[in-house]
Amino acid sequence: MTPETGWLPHASRHLGAAKGWTVIFSAELLVQTVLSGLMVGVLYALMALGITFIYSIVKTINWAMGEFYMIGSYIQFVAVHYLLGARWWWLAAIISAAGTFLVGLILEPILIKPMYARPMQRRDDYATVVTIALLLLLRSLAVALGGPNQYRPESDLPVVWIGPLPQEGARVAAFVCALLALAVFWIVIKKTWVGLALRAAAQNRVAVQTSGVDVYRLDAIAFAIGVALAGLAGALLAPLFMVFPTNGAVTTVKGFEIIVIGGLGSIPGALVGGLLLGLAESLGAAFISSPYQNVYGFLLVIVVLIVRPDGLFGERGREA
Amino acid sequence: MSAGLTGGVGAFVEWRRVAAVLAMAAPPLLALPLFVSEFTAHVLAISAYYVILAASWNMLAGFTGQFSLAQHGFAALGAYTSGLLVYHLQTPLWVSIPGGVLTTALGGLLLGLLVLKMRTIYLSIATWAFAETLRITLSAAYEFTRGDLGLSVPSLYGHVRPVVYYYTFLAVAALCLLFIHVMLKSPIGYFMRAVRDDPMRAQSLAVDITRVKLFAFVASSAMAGLGGALYAHYVLTLTPSIVDFSEMARIIVMVVIGGLGSFIAPIIGAPPVYALNTWLAAWGEWSMVAFAAIVIGLMRAYPAGLAGLISAVWGRRRSGKSFL
Repeated sequence: MTPETGWLPHASRHLGAAKGWTVIFSAELLVQTVLSGLMVGVLYALMALGITFIYSIVKTINWAMGEFYMIGSYIQFVAVHYLLGARWWWLAAIISAAGTFLVGLILEPILIKPMYARPMQRRDDYATVVTIALLLLLRSLAVALGGPNQYRPESDLPVVWIGPLPQEGARVAAFVCALLALAVFWIVIKKTWVGLALRAAAQNRVAVQTSGVDVYRLDAIAFAIGVALAGLAGALLAPLFMVFPTNGAVTTVKGFEIIVIGGLGSIPGALVGGLLLGLAESLGAAFISSPYQNVYGFLLVIVVLIVRPDGLFGERGREA
Repeated sequence: MSAGLTGGVGAFVEWRRVAAVLAMAAPPLLALPLFVSEFTAHVLAISAYYVILAASWNMLAGFTGQFSLAQHGFAALGAYTSGLLVYHLQTPLWVSIPGGVLTTALGGLLLGLLVLKMRTIYLSIATWAFAETLRITLSAAYEFTRGDLGLSVPSLYGHVRPVVYYYTFLAVAALCLLFIHVMLKSPIGYFMRAVRDDPMRAQSLAVDITRVKLFAFVASSAMAGLGGALYAHYVLTLTPSIVDFSEMARIIVMVVIGGLGSFIAPIIGAPPVYALNTWLAAWGEWSMVAFAAIVIGLMRAYPAGLAGLISAVWGRRRSGKSFL
């Protein structure tokens, strides 16, 4: 089972011998496919939310997002396999999120902050090249330290029956934790002082600076929150999608596809886009052909771009 | 726009200067492989290949402002098209390589149409998603492409002596650079830079920005496709890993170290970066760690790239004439 083709939802396994383009339809299969699509969709939304959130405050795309996903999944594996055991997977997930948060908090002032010392036109170039170099650095660091092997943290979660339909325990757990994380994110952004400052910075950096808030510290916090969301997604998906140096790549593609669908800087766009993508993927895998599971997202992007060139929530105008 | 998009091509090219530069650069470049080992000749050949890719990306991102992240995808499209034509239809190479170039030009046209109206950052994201999807498709459709098993393709000259391939890549790189130079000195090149600097104003001055962007996309994809197709018949085995994002990262690093949007960026950026890559490779996986750290350090310390440094020195002597 290669990582590229192995992400079959349960539904597609029922197809058994029905390979290729055969279409089998049953209500049970449909419901199950929709459920597992929505569940994974929330995890993808977490990823997209991180990208969008960092962009709305730091005004740059973090191309190394998938590598923070990877860091999260490695921390989860080490914590579950060597330290805590499968029973404490939720504590490990919290540790992974906190760990990636710290890495982000340390790296942002070193790597991203010098961007503001550059003239306006060079900032995007600088940030793009530095985060791409960071991507290379973290990936090769993972290979150098852990080898190119695939790991999988143990999971003793039982299969969950939703009505007559079985769902993998780890998948349901990841879904529930992602919902919890979204709730925590929402509370932090809407109810706390830091959240208020972050929202203000997203609207107008200069005004925030004028009111005596250190906007560079907010950048670091926003970057750290964004990568922590990716790290958490990595930790939660580790038992399903494995742990290896480039495991962030495919999930990051989904995150970016969601952003093209939903619009950059739009939080509802990230959530709706995530669910749509999850659905498109699992339906495509179950009813069309499962090896091409990771291609359907891009087809969805093309359809959305043709029907609505501004994306579903494209309020900021994409034209130059 | 009475002159049309390609009207007045070469209008402002100083052919004597071009000939002088070529005459000065050719002898050392042609003589170089005679004095080095076979392995160094191989490194030189691959460096010339990266000059092609870097030049094509620089034309798109540096001069037209379309920060595409799919250049490695187009190189792979050219490589795979040529390889698959030979593998499935046993076409001769003089059919399959142009076939690869045509396919990439068409692919560039379609992707260019899709991302035409996008702002910079969306364009990067969408092209990146395209390249990753291409990689996933190449390995998922293994029954047709042989996926990660690797697609075997015949060599260009029936052997793989690096020196001959070095001359091939060198000639193609020189042709591509000449093509870009002529474009930049023609109205179309000025339109390209106008679209990069201020698309609204360019449009208000009756520059057809749609056609300019599409032209840049198609031309640069075709160049990458040509490079990729030739590369395929030198390395002899194709796997989806040639669409790995680290390939694109390498192209970007080369151009940015050379100086994004400067004509000589690929020439002075690609060979040193590839040589550094190769030299560091002795340390295994740590080499990429060191390489990435060097790039970050360079970006932090000296953001204008090597071209900025050279043009600063040049400018002192030639009273600020731009190094184009």
